[in-house]
Amino acid sequence: MIRRPIPTWLVYTLGVTGVVVVLAIYAALSIRQTRINPDQNIFPGIQAFGEGFVEITKARGGENNPKPSWLNVDLRATYWRLFLGLSSGVLLSVVVGIMMGSYTFIEALLNPIITFFAKIPPTAMLAIYLVAFGIHLKMYVAMIAFGVFFTMAQSIYQAVKKDVASDHIDKAYTLGASEFEVIFEVIWRQVLPRVLENLRLQIGPAMVFLIAAEWAFAGEGLGYTIKQQQKLQNMHVVYIYLAILGSSGLFFDWLLVQARRRLCPWFGE
Amino acid sequence: MNNQIADGELAVEIKGVSHCFGQQRVLNDINLKITAGQIVALVGPSGCGKSTLLKAILGTNPPSEGEIIVDGKVIDAPCRNVGIVYQHYGLFDFLTAESNVAFGLKLDSTSLAFRTLMFPKWLQLRKQHLQQSRAYLNRVGLEASAEKYPAQLSGGMRQRVAIAQSLILKPKLLLLDEPFGALDEATRESLQMMLLGFYQENLQAKAAGRTPEYTILIVTHELNEAIYVANRVIGLSRFHDLADRGAMIVYDRPCPVFQPNEPKDLEKFVAQREELRRAVFDPAYVKHYSKYVSFWSEVAAQEAAVAGIR
Repeated sequence: MIRRPIPTWLVYTLGVTGVVVVLAIYAALSIRQTRINPDQNIFPGIQAFGEGFVEITKARGGENNPKPSWLNVDLRATYWRLFLGLSSGVLLSVVVGIMMGSYTFIEALLNPIITFFAKIPPTAMLAIYLVAFGIHLKMYVAMIAFGVFFTMAQSIYQAVKKDVASDHIDKAYTLGASEFEVIFEVIWRQVLPRVLENLRLQIGPAMVFLIAAEWAFAGEGLGYTIKQQQKLQNMHVVYIYLAILGSSGLFFDWLLVQARRRLCPWFGE
Repeated sequence: MNNQIADGELAVEIKGVSHCFGQQRVLNDINLKITAGQIVALVGPSGCGKSTLLKAILGTNPPSEGEIIVDGKVIDAPCRNVGIVYQHYGLFDFLTAESNVAFGLKLDSTSLAFRTLMFPKWLQLRKQHLQQSRAYLNRVGLEASAEKYPAQLSGGMRQRVAIAQSLILKPKLLLLDEPFGALDEATRESLQMMLLGFYQENLQAKAAGRTPEYTILIVTHELNEAIYVANRVIGLSRFHDLADRGAMIVYDRPCPVFQPNEPKDLEKFVAQREELRRAVFDPAYVKHYSKYVSFWSEVAAQEAAVAGIR
């Protein structure tokens, strides 16, 4: 029956079962591959993963010239790019989206341009960012920022139009609000959960653009290392990197859900 | 007994208001005075221009001709002197009941600059605002739900909070736009009784020489409700001898005043209901537009008479 409720213990049991099945399939593939070729590294075993993990986390360089581990370098590079790109993109899209939803003049001016640019794949726009900034932090930041900006500005603008009734705005005026207060105390607060939801949805695409760009151009970063290690057939390192990408994605997701619960308890789930 | 209200301080004056949408004339030469403490019901067939008149008084859509004066000022944009309670969208989803009611105090008495730069002072003030808010919630019988969000309240509770939210600023005029239209019968009656209670408070204030606190214009399509909650009923309609010029006020009479807990005696308003229905809602009945309109002096005299009977 569609949507028939099931007991909580079953929910958890099924969740764990899914994970166990995936691990079991991997183990079976790994054992089979090893039987065919004992030196295989397409589906490495647990031991190989352990070695890989030590390799990427150990500090490099001598005592006189210590360097951080590969993982440390890559995580810092990738997430710094992601943070700068996303935060500037989100900030810009919140301001522009709210302005477009509030003022018909700005709406008429920007709507056609934004709709057009939202249709160009951000990775294609790399051509421009490369010429403008070269292979530099600015290039990644611009790509992520503009990559999320156009779609996010559109959805925030839509949220302002749909979620904030004109009656709400008039009501705020009758309660003595100034124009600025209407924007800051009514519109912004009403669309905040939508902003957080959109941010959550945009982390995925932003990572797609970033890993692709790092794959092509970077000298450090998760995308760069995955490419290098794949060339060397070091799949035990590649899988660890993929697992790190997956878990950090989950973590950011969780963080944003917590933020929404804390900041907008009225919004529900 | 001299506790009539019509000779009191003027809350709103509508002077020669007409409104056109393109070529079509919707409102024609509306003239209306409401004094502080009156609870006035506005009825009319759908599409007669009630909403247009209401939006003009609210200030969101100023009229094509004429002016609306509240507190000595011409209304050309929504302002804190005219409050409104809508049928829907009454409250801000992101604020608790308590903060919704306190929202007006915050917006009206402080600025964003004050709240950020003088944060400690704002916190002190905020405490007072919340106390006042609780007092108003108490007055509409909802103190226990102060910390709930609108989504957690029933329709009737939400309208009570919305009324408290508007009243806390003590507007010169409170507009109620079909406020009970979406509520069930029992809830609707309890809210109607709340309005009757407000009118009694007005009479007490007036008797004590104070300016009455509640001046309300309620738009409704329920004739019984209009006669029951208001002390004066106004009918807006196109069914009169100057129909081609647009809707005019074709009915303006006082109506019986009920006590909040008095049983609803249908006998008391059956005749007036019939008169109102015929004068305002019957397209076949064409009459001079002012046949059922009381002159201002008569409104006063009739209210005095009603008050005298009580």
